[in-house]
Amino acid sequence: MGKCPNRKVKKRRFSHKTARLTKFLRKCDDAVYDELQKPDAEKKALPLEEDLPAMGQYYCLHCDRYFASLTVRDGHFKTKRHKKRLKQLVEAPHTQLDADLAAGMGMPDNGPKLMSI
Amino acid sequence: MRLEKCWFCSSIVYPGHGIQFVRNDAKIFRFCRSKCHKNFKMKRNPRKVKWTKAYRRLHGKDMTQDATFEFERKRNRPERYDRNLAENTLKAIKKIDKVRSDRAAGYIKKRLDKDKNKKQREAKKELEQGINLVKAPEAIRQDPSLTLPSKVKVQVQVEEKCHQMEE
Repeated sequence: MGKCPNRKVKKRRFSHKTARLTKFLRKCDDAVYDELQKPDAEKKALPLEEDLPAMGQYYCLHCDRYFASLTVRDGHFKTKRHKKRLKQLVEAPHTQLDADLAAGMGMPDNGPKLMSI
Repeated sequence: MRLEKCWFCSSIVYPGHGIQFVRNDAKIFRFCRSKCHKNFKMKRNPRKVKWTKAYRRLHGKDMTQDATFEFERKRNRPERYDRNLAENTLKAIKKIDKVRSDRAAGYIKKRLDKDKNKKQREAKKELEQGINLVKAPEAIRQDPSLTLPSKVKVQVQVEEKCHQMEE
């Protein structure tokens, strides 16, 4: 648990945000991008989950957020934040391979293919 | 000993240095120093951070295409140990590294030289056009001492020298 900075009341010394940290964690860009690149056939219907708002049925894939109702979600689609996110996810995110190539390495050498698919 | 590359800045991560982050989907991210790790945690994009190799490559600051880039690769297949081959490789590494660093330095020098010429030309043009701000055009016509220093060919009197030699 992290200490809360600048707290005048000495009794409540700890931040409660750290306890709920998972609530604020978002999927990383590359994970979201991979999800987006999947063909439609592979995408499954959203599973029912009790802990999430509205059983986790209203989900924004780009922003990795759950919403309470359809109207709220559609409202979210119109926001600046969501549109910015759409723009971000157009190009492929940076990967370790990109880093290697930028460092002056060639493409990885996997040898000849042993099995033909 | 495998020398890995930093995920963020593409520099070499030597064994025992830096930090390695394994995400819960088993993806590995290696960082050469806390600077890179912190930048990753801030979700910065290496393509947009100016000091990374990825940025420099993308914006034409560094050499991008070269035959020497084909030597260093990740090899995902077992190689039978051959003493002669290993020796020759060790010798070649030094040579290739030198060729590569020379070419990279040459590339940057060429890029900067082009810029230098352009800057000088632009500055000269600005001076020529703005000379009226310093002195009125009529004043310059009357007293042409205030003009831009231009290169004047100095005529060397060769004949005189020749005479001196003869004497």
